[in-house]
Amino acid sequence: MTVENAMIRSDAAVLIVDDEPGMCWALGHILKGSGIVSVTATSGQEALRLAERQRFRLAFVDAKLPDAEGLELARRMREADPGIRIVLVSGYFYGDDPEVLQATAAGVINGFVSKPFLHDEVRTIARAALAP
Amino acid sequence: MDMVDRRGSRAATGHGAGEAERYEKLYAMLLDAIPSSVLLIDAQLHVVSANRNFLEKARLTESDTLGQRIDAVFPPLILDHMDLARRVRKAFELNEPTRGERMTYRAPGLTTRVYYYSLIPFAWRGTVEHVMLLLEDVTEQMRLGEEARRAERHVASVVESASDLVLSTDVDGRILTWNAAAERVSGYTRDEVRGRLFSEQCSAPHRALVQQEFARARSGREFGTAEWDLVTKPGALVPVAWVGSAMKDDLGRVVAIVVVGRDLTERRKLEAQLLQSQKLAALGVLAGGIAHEIRNPLAISSSAAQFLLEDPDAPEFRRECAAQVQAGIRRASVIIENLLRFARPGARTDVEPLDLASVVRDAAALVVNQAKIQQINMVVELPPDPVRVSGVLSVLQQVFMNLLLNAVDAMPAGGVLRVGVARAGIEGQVRITDTGHGIPAGEMDKVFDPFYTTRPVGQGTGLGLSICYSIVKQHFGAIEVESVEGQGSTFTVRLPLL
Repeated sequence: MTVENAMIRSDAAVLIVDDEPGMCWALGHILKGSGIVSVTATSGQEALRLAERQRFRLAFVDAKLPDAEGLELARRMREADPGIRIVLVSGYFYGDDPEVLQATAAGVINGFVSKPFLHDEVRTIARAALAP
Repeated sequence: MDMVDRRGSRAATGHGAGEAERYEKLYAMLLDAIPSSVLLIDAQLHVVSANRNFLEKARLTESDTLGQRIDAVFPPLILDHMDLARRVRKAFELNEPTRGERMTYRAPGLTTRVYYYSLIPFAWRGTVEHVMLLLEDVTEQMRLGEEARRAERHVASVVESASDLVLSTDVDGRILTWNAAAERVSGYTRDEVRGRLFSEQCSAPHRALVQQEFARARSGREFGTAEWDLVTKPGALVPVAWVGSAMKDDLGRVVAIVVVGRDLTERRKLEAQLLQSQKLAALGVLAGGIAHEIRNPLAISSSAAQFLLEDPDAPEFRRECAAQVQAGIRRASVIIENLLRFARPGARTDVEPLDLASVVRDAAALVVNQAKIQQINMVVELPPDPVRVSGVLSVLQQVFMNLLLNAVDAMPAGGVLRVGVARAGIEGQVRITDTGHGIPAGEMDKVFDPFYTTRPVGQGTGLGLSICYSIVKQHFGAIEVESVEGQGSTFTVRLPLL
């Protein structure tokens, strides 16, 4: 998805960052089912460009991107916008992985979803993050 | 003898007394100059002349000796041993010389000496006047001869006792000698192989190479090192590492070829075990990347299935979900298949025709998962047609896996990993280039050494590249490295095309 598209979808509240088009498809449809609009980025660079132009309340970030580590991207996104909620989505880490626990404790990420996941997990996280 | 004759004849024809004295002096000088003992003995067994050599050896003076009977001059032991009196008498009777008899004598307080002696009758006008006893001290020659024989026996026993195979051939490669280790390893005795071509003792696929090396040695060039299988008497193959050298004569002509071989059976067993543990280690490294790669399609399939369970209305979306489920499962199973191809323990261990491109493609397919999670962009360039080589699939897989994982390791902060397979003349060539930390110029010649590693203790055995080197060598290939520190490395593997 390009920056131009993102501008059109400026009402989006959620950013999905994953280099797997299938993952973007799945997460996008789950959120759409709950009436939440999202935009997707398939690289760290693209995610940062989108976050510069638009404020997101929530981001689902893949742990391993072709050009960046998910945790490093989360750090940079939080620097730019301390209020954003970031959830790491990964097939590489596991829930009680020391790196994940450390990043959560340090406030780099607000949650972790392990692939494959149940749709309810994603919906619960999204609703909590977007609750007024 | 001539001089005695001449002196006798001149004196007899009535030259002056001065002339006789002159010959006497010359005769005495010549006798004394001879490095042997010379005595003249008359028919009554009296010594009538003894040269300086004899007097010195016997520690006698002229007056002790001249005019004495031989039993007063020689110790009884020698007289008995030589049976001197009887022999002298016989020489007088028969007028026939005895030559080259050997005698060993040890004087009290002195070392044993060995003499050759001859008894030569001197006859004048049909009558034997004197018998000349010539004693030659050959102790020193005997000692040197014995020493040479001992040195020869020693060298022979060194060769015999060597645990390595030691053999020699003539310039045509026909076996001349074959030591005990060669007999033990091959099962052939030296008599069975003597005269046979050495190349015929090697396995058929190696014969041409053996002949090639022998031709090189024959022309005086360096004989390389090589690994050729030896065919044993029962028909088994024994891997042997050979080193040869030409034996040259004083004029520099090649007269024989010496070949030394080391039985590699034990080393091969260890290498096989090492290879297996390397494989397991590689699987450990690959596990992270594979887990990540498999869980993506699983997550997509799982989501698609959950959408279907939620019973969506739109038929188009239902079809999309079903397609996602199927695609995800297919992707996961391809990854598992790649893993199986590499890990299956029952893989064939014999040499077979292989497509180098597909061996590299399979290894790259596994490593790409690991590369991805390290932000490494992998570029694989394969030719459209197969690159046919002969090799053992499972071990060649390991070579490329080691090289690819090393490249991934060299780029902890990401980079580009290029993998290319191409034909280059009579060779198939695989180039693996990374943009990693590179190898310092001073360490380039060490990278293929066993136990060379740049990793901290416990994180690498330093055996990966030495195993690659050994495997490629066994496939009659070559492996090379080019590197610029801080910019990256290129490893090139060349294998002969089929």
